[in-house]
Amino acid sequence: LLSMAQPGTVLSVFAMVLHTALGESGCTSADGDGTLGDDEPDNFDIDCFSQLEIKDSFSSLTCNFTELPPYNTNYTLLLCTKEDNNYACSNMKKREDVFFIQFIDILSNRDVCMYSEMKRRVCRSLVVTDIVKPEVPFAINITYEREANEYLIRYCTPHSRKKYLKDKLVHQVAYRQKEGTWKTIESPYLQIKLLGQNLENEASYEVKVRSQPNGYYFKGTWSEWSTSKSFRTAREQHSTENYSSVVMVILSILGFMLSLAMIALIVVFWENRIKPAVWPNLPDHKKTLEQLCKKPKNNFDTSFNPESFGYVHIHKVDGLWAKAELENFLQPSTAPETSLPEKFRSGSDLKMIPAMADKTNLNLPVSYEALHRLLGTSQRAATEGSCSSSTYEVCHSKRVPQHNDGFSLSSTCPLDPSGQPHPDPLNDNTVSQMLPNSDMRSPNNEEAYVTMSNFYKIQ
Amino acid sequence: NPAFFRSTLPVLPLLLVLSPVNASSCAMGNRTTEIRVKYENILSHDINELVNMSAEDRDKCCKNKINGNIKVFFCNDTEEIESLQSMACNMLRFYKKQRISKAFREKAAFVSCGTLQVLQCKCRTKKEK
Repeated sequence: LLSMAQPGTVLSVFAMVLHTALGESGCTSADGDGTLGDDEPDNFDIDCFSQLEIKDSFSSLTCNFTELPPYNTNYTLLLCTKEDNNYACSNMKKREDVFFIQFIDILSNRDVCMYSEMKRRVCRSLVVTDIVKPEVPFAINITYEREANEYLIRYCTPHSRKKYLKDKLVHQVAYRQKEGTWKTIESPYLQIKLLGQNLENEASYEVKVRSQPNGYYFKGTWSEWSTSKSFRTAREQHSTENYSSVVMVILSILGFMLSLAMIALIVVFWENRIKPAVWPNLPDHKKTLEQLCKKPKNNFDTSFNPESFGYVHIHKVDGLWAKAELENFLQPSTAPETSLPEKFRSGSDLKMIPAMADKTNLNLPVSYEALHRLLGTSQRAATEGSCSSSTYEVCHSKRVPQHNDGFSLSSTCPLDPSGQPHPDPLNDNTVSQMLPNSDMRSPNNEEAYVTMSNFYKIQ
Repeated sequence: NPAFFRSTLPVLPLLLVLSPVNASSCAMGNRTTEIRVKYENILSHDINELVNMSAEDRDKCCKNKINGNIKVFFCNDTEEIESLQSMACNMLRFYKKQRISKAFREKAAFVSCGTLQVLQCKCRTKKEK
């Protein structure tokens, strides 16, 4: 008997211990999922969503039946939490066709149980953080950036001021032209940009926004759409205005650079080119004549001093005389001392006297070469003493000049040492007209001077 | 038969020894990742709020510094979960302290319960329960 009692006692004790152990582990139900279901299938369809921090620290759960139970069935929904093998349940409030409840703990695993009169209790497990439905965005603001031709759309969400869903949402912006097709853009930020080139010009558009958990920890569904906001796009000429403004800027820069270049050029060429062209220097007639005339040789005395022409016959030309009178003027003249014009009786005349005494050596300027020719080449042959090419001797010759065919002052150009020919050559008539005054000593002092202007007149 | 009782008597103590002992009030298993994500996304925000609230009532909390229950809040190396469990359970004891503001006590209780929930631990003493 003892041998048969020992195994029985051990088995009974073992069974008792096994029941206790299974009870501590929580596996008391036949289905094995830990719920306290009454072994009945959870065959009720409900759709639930949670809203975190809906009011201060409270979160909410909202459920509705996708398949309504029989009309005449009284039922209630409960939100339950398992605690030490017991369910701690709270009734959900019924609002029209939905059931609503608020709670604080979002960490615990929850069960939604339907309690009806027909069945005791049917439960379905849910995770509050996996069925989150964010709150609706608000305050949509649209700003047009003219320079970039972009439309900046900004909006707000209530979760920006809360703990759990801050920076854990993704936002969807929908826009369309009036009565057109909706287009959507998603962004984790609270603003997006629409390119103006992708929109119609001068058209009316409509914008709305909604939010959803980003899925890293919190999961759920889209919130409701926000209130729509309308705006009107700008005209196309803004792009052309930008283009024209760019062109104006470029032209302004080029104009400025050209102005600087002009100023620099004016400063550089002012003295050498601009000023002489705008205000030319009036030529000095004396200097001009000196430039026109050939430079005399070293042994030439170029002088306009009247005293140098003491022995030169000064012929005053009063008019055009006939050739027949030419001989009259070639008669030997009286002593020149008594017929000296008054001019030579000045202080400078003293210089002339010794020069006049020396008839053989009388240096006359080259410009009076023509005068010499006027007196005739025979005078050269008839003169006594040396008559070099560089000296002129006044010979009181009686012979008529042999030049009957006239001569031209222009061939040698005595009045123009540069060698330029004169356009008006003299002929005999002109010479004869000149000769009457050849030996005539002008009684006037002014007429005794041979000026350059007289030579120009002769020409 | 006295021999029967002598043979079965040691069975009960042996069964008590061999029976599953509820030594740890926390769930077994490596749940590091689950604990971390729940702390980062939910519990950390509540702890920050509790810290800000305690900063406002700093003097009230540490009024009796000499006999302060500093040893109540400890953290042993390699025993992080047990340390957190102990802290949470000890903080629940302040729920009935009338000296502390009600908002702070409620927040402290919420953080304690949330910590125990994340760790899936229980408080051992009936008082803590």
